[in-house]
Amino acid sequence: MANSNLPRRIIKETQRLLSEPAPGISASPSEDNMRYFNVMILGPTQSPYEGGVFKLELFLPEEYPMAAPKLGRICLDILKDKWSPALQIRTVLLSIQALLSAPNPDDPLSENIAKHWKSNEAEAVETAKEWTRLYASGA
Amino acid sequence: MGKNKVTDEQLSTVRSIVGSEYTEMDIYRALHLANNDATAAINIIFDTPNFKFKERLSVGTRSNSQVSHRSPSSDIGTGGGSLVAKSKPIDAEDKICSGSEAKVADSAPNSGGYTLEEVGERSSPAGSDWWFVGCSEMAGLSTCKGRTINAGDQVLFKFPLKSGHTMASPAKGFGRGRQAAATCSEIVRFYTEETGEIGRIPNEWARCLLPLVRDKKVKIEGHCKFAPTNLGIMDTILLSVSVFINSAMFRRHHQVSLKDATNSTDESVFHPLPTLFRLLGLNPFKKAEFTPGDLYSKKRPFNQKDNSSLQATLLHIKSKDPSVNDSEIDNDDSISEVDLDNIVGVGASSELEEMDPPGSLQCELRPYQKQALHWMIQLEKGRPRDEAATTLHPCWEAYHLADKRELVVYLNVFSGEATTEFPSTLQMARGGILADAMGLGKTIMTIALLLAHLGRGGLSSSQPVAQPFTEDGELNGTVQNSSKIPKKATKFSGFDKLMKQKSALTSGGSLIICPMTLLGQWKAEIETHVQPGSLSLYVHYGQSRPKDAKTLAQSDVVITTYGVLTSEFFSENAEDNSGLFSIRWFRVVLDEAHTIKSSKSQISIAATALVADRRWCLTGTPIQNNLEDIYSLLRFLRIEPWGHWAWWNKLIQKPFEEGDERGLKLVQSILKPIMLRRTKHSTDREGKPILVLPPADVQIIYCELTEAEKDFYQALFKRSKVKFDQFVEQGRILHNYASILELLLRLRQCCDHPFLVMSRGDTQEFSDLNKLAKRFLKGTHNASGGEAKDAPSRAYVQEVVEELQKGEQGECPICLEAFEDAVLTPCAHRLCRECLLASWRNSTSGLCPVCRKTISRQDLLTAPTGSRFQIDIEKNWVESCKITVLLHELENLRSSGSKSIVFSQWTAFLDLLQIPFTRNNIPFVRLDGTLSQQQREKVIRQFSEDSDILVLLMSLKAGGVGINLTAASNAFVMDPWWNPAVEEQAVMRIHRIGQTKNVAIKRFIVKATRLEEFLHRLQGIWLGTSEARGTVEERMEAVQARKQRMISGALTDQEVRSARIEELKMLFT
Repeated sequence: MANSNLPRRIIKETQRLLSEPAPGISASPSEDNMRYFNVMILGPTQSPYEGGVFKLELFLPEEYPMAAPKLGRICLDILKDKWSPALQIRTVLLSIQALLSAPNPDDPLSENIAKHWKSNEAEAVETAKEWTRLYASGA
Repeated sequence: MGKNKVTDEQLSTVRSIVGSEYTEMDIYRALHLANNDATAAINIIFDTPNFKFKERLSVGTRSNSQVSHRSPSSDIGTGGGSLVAKSKPIDAEDKICSGSEAKVADSAPNSGGYTLEEVGERSSPAGSDWWFVGCSEMAGLSTCKGRTINAGDQVLFKFPLKSGHTMASPAKGFGRGRQAAATCSEIVRFYTEETGEIGRIPNEWARCLLPLVRDKKVKIEGHCKFAPTNLGIMDTILLSVSVFINSAMFRRHHQVSLKDATNSTDESVFHPLPTLFRLLGLNPFKKAEFTPGDLYSKKRPFNQKDNSSLQATLLHIKSKDPSVNDSEIDNDDSISEVDLDNIVGVGASSELEEMDPPGSLQCELRPYQKQALHWMIQLEKGRPRDEAATTLHPCWEAYHLADKRELVVYLNVFSGEATTEFPSTLQMARGGILADAMGLGKTIMTIALLLAHLGRGGLSSSQPVAQPFTEDGELNGTVQNSSKIPKKATKFSGFDKLMKQKSALTSGGSLIICPMTLLGQWKAEIETHVQPGSLSLYVHYGQSRPKDAKTLAQSDVVITTYGVLTSEFFSENAEDNSGLFSIRWFRVVLDEAHTIKSSKSQISIAATALVADRRWCLTGTPIQNNLEDIYSLLRFLRIEPWGHWAWWNKLIQKPFEEGDERGLKLVQSILKPIMLRRTKHSTDREGKPILVLPPADVQIIYCELTEAEKDFYQALFKRSKVKFDQFVEQGRILHNYASILELLLRLRQCCDHPFLVMSRGDTQEFSDLNKLAKRFLKGTHNASGGEAKDAPSRAYVQEVVEELQKGEQGECPICLEAFEDAVLTPCAHRLCRECLLASWRNSTSGLCPVCRKTISRQDLLTAPTGSRFQIDIEKNWVESCKITVLLHELENLRSSGSKSIVFSQWTAFLDLLQIPFTRNNIPFVRLDGTLSQQQREKVIRQFSEDSDILVLLMSLKAGGVGINLTAASNAFVMDPWWNPAVEEQAVMRIHRIGQTKNVAIKRFIVKATRLEEFLHRLQGIWLGTSEARGTVEERMEAVQARKQRMISGALTDQEVRSARIEELKMLFT
């Protein structure tokens, strides 16, 4: 059901994601639902997340590309009001990767961590590294 | 719904004052007049003498809930119907209308018992809602042991609840605490108050009583006539039952959702009410002339001399190749003319009388056209009006009820509908299908009909035309016609639209609906052939078309398109009383009526919903792909009972699909009286052809490729063959149909001109590109007072302009496909127009998806489309062999001034042709799919009227149907099409009525050179292949021939499948 009438745009994007993946990013559609993607983003080098593998689930709603992909709890304007149909899965994932390189504590998901980041960035970075090692080491 | 909706509350308020002698319709009407002010409505009712509106009494048995004027719902909710009935005096009760009848139905678990109680009280008084239908014996089966029932004992009936119902509170104080068993079975049980359950009634009774009782359409009472003294299981108990029908059913029209209607009637041919009548032993005093039984009769002739060809036709129509979708070959699986004639039959029409057209028609009609006029006039007349009004419609039968009030009820034997108003033959179809083959002048015959009988819808009736709530009737499957006789229509979704129209229909003239491409032609033909001043004409088309009924109703003839029709029917914002559906037309004519062939399409539904006294279908192809196509036409025409899908399906469609020839025979017998079809080969009484056209000479011109072309062709062929052979090896030919067609396409284009294959992505000088660049660089500069930052950067614009100059295709950032109808934003971004507009919330402005600048629709520029050719075709111009031959032919014709049409299926080839035409000073115009309607009309006019213009370049499929190009007497078909019928159609545009000169048709085929042929023959000898030789075009000729065989021969699905593979192999051998 979910795979019938898959818009050409989604098929094309998927093909391109698979044939020319963006560095540090892998996204592959689920076999039983082509609108559902398993995503892995490598923590960017020289960021606290370096060495981490971040798994995400991405879902393309019915209205895609006129509506943004659904991507769990990530504060990113292009996933919300700044979505544009000219953006793609690839650009979204690249944006997330960039977000890992340059977190934005002014628009946080967690207030506490943002506070921590603002008050003592070095310590926050250490925590991030620690958590990356603990929870995102790809094991 | 809208604000105009009368609420139940208002309704019951008014009802409580005025009492039950006013119907709900009256109250609705009053409320509308009073602008929904209840007080004002009451005053209107009391102040207007004879306010009461004599309603049409009609009911569909599919109405699923029914009411009498009953007690307030508050009582019912807790007490159950019978309790209330007992506790209230009847007259009081009758004055109060329940606002929630549905509750009544649902909350009466003991409906059998309560019905009985109620009958006891209410059956006697005159004016009661319940009419006594009849009384009969019924053999009940005992389900108990040891209980007793005596003759004369009253029995009560218990009907199972609908499955899925939550049970209402059990009836207190009645039925001894008996609760209806929550069963979904269809068993109807009976019991007495004293003993409890006694037995069950026979299934055949239960089956028809159950839905009717549930919907409160009938009720039943009974007593025991005879029973064994000591009951045992399965003993027979003789009951005497009386059945009453709820007269309110005939007054109220309930909106039924499509789903219900579909489930209960559309797909089924079981109708409870007629069955019940039969069980009661009621005999119609007037029988239906035409019954389902007739249709099953084995008497219909079975053998036919053309048996085998029909069978072949059957097979052909049936075979749909599942593996191919949307390929170009598939599009042509339409029926050939010969098959069509086999199916629908060519009428022995030569005996028809002729009728002279009125003097206001300013052209001569040929004898066969005069025959058509006579035939159409006759069909429109139907029977003489008085006779028609007093003759029972053949699908209906009439019953006397046993009620003392001498009531008569009419039942439709096909649909099961019931009504108390006389269903006369007036409601029958008046009109038919004019199915003359293309080119015989259906348009002019229709114009003659228009002139011969101009009129206004509904005016011939003695009744006032204004009748409120007609559309409610339509919802119930009935349409009112001029004399307030229920007219039947089929039920559609989307009919709730009509609910909104609460006012009367305005009477209008004739409405012609045609494809957009023929709009101009209809107008032109009417203006040319009709004496000025003899009729008023109005073209209802375009955004600014007036919506009010008056404008439409004023004109004698209104022309509109299927598009307008559909959009007005489904329009969300339809004002009350507007557009095509607010008018009762005198006559509706569907041109190219096969447009409505698929019965579920919006077009078909919309067309069928039109209200008209006379209906016509014009089509040269009443069946295009499927027998089902006819169903839509019959439904539109109101040919009963074939507008009911259930009957059509059961008696025609299914038998047909199963190979039972009776299906086809039945269609033929249905069509015979209502369809007129002549072909160019039809003859008149003396055996002479009805239409003598100047002779047409069809010639094939074989062109030989030049050396250079041949090299190119060979290279391309080899490359394609490698790919094809791969598919063959993998056994995946049919799975790669599209790719194969693409390969073939290239080869075929190569035969026209190698440039076509080199096309895609390229250059042309845009004189205005620089202007474009300047505009971008200035950008919004001027507009918004020098905001330089809004303008895109110089470098970027340069890049875009270069891209455009190079004709780089690029892709749309939204659909990721090559641009389609690309637009440039002021910020110099390129997107498909559709994609961009779809990304906006409103239609006038939005953000640029690429850079998020706010842009408005007016600022969009249509991106210049680059030339399709990679090389500068002007500079490097070379004639292909076909072009050389064509130019030679045209040069020969030049001195005679004889006009020609040059057809190609590729507009790119038309592009190419323009170069030598211009160079050789051959004046031409061009018609292809990119032109708007006005542009098309202009081109056709120019070509027809300007004697200097010698050539019309036309894309094979652009012209659409019906275009008349008789100014030309030569046709050059530059490339073969898969199906010869499409070519034939194109050519028919010049070889048709009105053509006075000899016609020459030349088809171009590229022939392999001698050497090549020799090699092929050699190959054939070695490999044993003999059929496939020559260029792709020559092989296509073979495929065409094969296709013809396939259509007329009896091939099974499997054979057709393998034939396809063979066909492809043939092209690549």
